[in-house]
Amino acid sequence: MKNTIKEINRNVYDFKNEDRYDFKIQKGLNREIIEEISKQKNEPDWMTEIRLKALEIYNDLELPTWGPDLSELDMDDIATYVRPKTKLNNNWEDVPEDIKNTFDRLGIPEAEKKSLSGVGAQYDSEVVYHSIKEELVNQGVIYTDMETAVREYPDIVKQHFMKCVPINDHKFVALHTAVWSGGSFVYVPKGIKVDIPLQSYFRLNSPESGQFEHTLIIVEEGASLHFIEGCSAPKYNKVNLHAGCVELYVKEKAYLRYSTIENWSKNMLNLNTKKAIVEKDGQIDWVSGSFGSKISMLYPMSILNGEGSKTEYTGISFAGENQNLDTGFKVIHNAPNTSSVVNSKSLSKNGGTCTYRALTQINANAKNSKCSVSCESLMLDDISKSDTIPVNDIRTDDVEFSHEAKIGKISDKTIFYLMSRGISEEDAKAMIVRGFAYPISKELPVEYAVEMNNLINLELEGSIG
Amino acid sequence: MILNSTPVRTSKSFKINDIEIEDVDVKIQKFDGLKVSGDIEKFSISNDVKKLPLVYGIGKKLENQVYNNANQNINITFEGKEDKDFYLEFNFDDENDALVGNIEINAKENSKATIIIKYISDGMKEHYNNSILKVCANEFSEINVVIVNMLNNKSNNFLSIENTLHKKSHINYTVVDFGGKASISNYYSNLIGQEAKSNINTIYLGTQEQLFDINYIAELKGEKSNVNIEVQGALNDSAKKNFKGTIDFKKGCKKSVGNENEFCMLLSDKARSKGLPMLLCTEEDVEGNHSSAAGKVDRDMVFYIMSRGFSYKETMKLIVKAKFNNIIEGIKDEIIKEEILNEIDKRI
Repeated sequence: MKNTIKEINRNVYDFKNEDRYDFKIQKGLNREIIEEISKQKNEPDWMTEIRLKALEIYNDLELPTWGPDLSELDMDDIATYVRPKTKLNNNWEDVPEDIKNTFDRLGIPEAEKKSLSGVGAQYDSEVVYHSIKEELVNQGVIYTDMETAVREYPDIVKQHFMKCVPINDHKFVALHTAVWSGGSFVYVPKGIKVDIPLQSYFRLNSPESGQFEHTLIIVEEGASLHFIEGCSAPKYNKVNLHAGCVELYVKEKAYLRYSTIENWSKNMLNLNTKKAIVEKDGQIDWVSGSFGSKISMLYPMSILNGEGSKTEYTGISFAGENQNLDTGFKVIHNAPNTSSVVNSKSLSKNGGTCTYRALTQINANAKNSKCSVSCESLMLDDISKSDTIPVNDIRTDDVEFSHEAKIGKISDKTIFYLMSRGISEEDAKAMIVRGFAYPISKELPVEYAVEMNNLINLELEGSIG
Repeated sequence: MILNSTPVRTSKSFKINDIEIEDVDVKIQKFDGLKVSGDIEKFSISNDVKKLPLVYGIGKKLENQVYNNANQNINITFEGKEDKDFYLEFNFDDENDALVGNIEINAKENSKATIIIKYISDGMKEHYNNSILKVCANEFSEINVVIVNMLNNKSNNFLSIENTLHKKSHINYTVVDFGGKASISNYYSNLIGQEAKSNINTIYLGTQEQLFDINYIAELKGEKSNVNIEVQGALNDSAKKNFKGTIDFKKGCKKSVGNENEFCMLLSDKARSKGLPMLLCTEEDVEGNHSSAAGKVDRDMVFYIMSRGFSYKETMKLIVKAKFNNIIEGIKDEIIKEEILNEIDKRI
């Protein structure tokens, strides 16, 4: 008898289209390449200057001296800008057949009809489709691609672009700033509640290339929004690179929920940066599922700058064969009466490595703040690896901080108990793993919870032993 | 000097991977402040110590200082299951202001003993302690080690501990870490034997500008081995503490259990507590837990005690002593217990 818990079924994501493009920049990274990207995008000078300054910072910064080994990343082998053979469309019928089919297979147009109030779809380096419901436009909500935002709302972009995430934050932020392309811009005016989520989907099709989309969201005072991002790519033999950047501004009494289902292919280095600044009585909630990529280094961060601001992080990672998912959450309490709740789960299998890496910093001015962190790791076999590396830095006495972590395997006693109730060992294990993931999946919209369960795709077939 | 590195690195910006302090300029002379007592006749004492490189330790520079310039080399070996105690009391004063010590404890198979090591300052002159303690617990042996650091707050205290645990051996530590302008300690337990068990219970009390950097590493290799790390601390004034605790389940340590619990009581809004409780795991069939917490003293508790006529300061002393009591009670020697309680009174 043999018992197997299968890994994620990737057939849905691994299909690839012919590498057809309108323009592909030469591989590598230098001043000429940056200037050419800027020229191709017909950008204002101020943005070109930011890009060139970022390139200098990139050259000065070191690779991280911690975390997964990034030595196989060779920027001379990566094309940082690939423009697909289409312009930005607001009707799926106008999107070229092969690209439209890609998003059809990923279920994006269907989801748009059923459960979204706006959709953005990026293919390689450019957004190819964008739509938003008329009533939101009438309320003043802006949801567009970043390039349009740079042209049409330069003052807002200048005020916020790379201000939440400083260019010198780390090497891959500098890289992102130098070569960014695509992404979404969302502006929700004061008091407007966007009840139905907006979603951006990022698909990288071109081999030996990178995706560097920039997401900038501003939720004004008293407004609210649920934003969902999804990402995937087909698998190639050489590494692809994703170094996106997400900057979120949550103003006074505003609310933002940012959900991510990341399912990059297993040749992808996913070195993404996400940060939110939250003002008085505002709240940011992160829901994050990390399933794909060869290597991920992803640590969303909330900076609680306003009194009474809050954040919650709910995340799950599933690392299978040849995957090293180094994920976690960072929070800085920088005002009185702030609070944070962190709930992280990870599963490792087939030699996969999951690491929970985190920071909780409670500054001296964050009186009467509260933070509660919980992380659990489940090892599904004895060739995998699971590490928990959380840092807490408490700089005031008037706090309540607690952190707990657990690591282990599926309990024999629990399996025995379920089996004694007539449940097969396979079903018992399936129930336990689904139960383990449930606190995360219940936070996702129904369609994504189903997708996540499919991703985990627990199949105990055959035989045990 | 960059000291006390963690076994696994995290982001440099978190500033916890190592601790950097200024080089300490010290003149190493004879150290005559050692007092030995207890059931001396039941122990075999010599100066015969090995100089094998430490797996971790605080840092190579300090390790080399011990191996090249130690002014106290002590090997303590014992056998037999009967209870026996051995006291090493290092008294620092104006004459004996720098100790560079190399201590080895060797528990033979099926033996048991308690070793008490005290570092005490007399006067307020700057004292210096850089010591290595290596403990080898052979099969079925049990060693209780009590370390009491009561150096003054001008001193530097560097302590590297390395334990090797063979089959069914137990090492229990009780560490009282109160003294030193900087008190940097590194504790490594190598649980190679099946059903080996390592406990460490630590209390620290930081006042004034004291800095504590505590780095505990336990590697579980034998099946059914067990590690418990319990750290309770209080920080007053502008004291700072970094606690780095690593429980590393190595492949093959099936059915092993590791628990780590840290609590830091903050008695001042200028005190700073940093923690990095790590669980590393390459073995499926294990159970690892850690928890850490920090916060100020419960207001209702303070109010209740003060309503009974105690001053605020007395109330704080009572609460700290109550919090530390579980660990202090693990020490058998009533005199030492009393000394620790008095030291808490003196320092808060």
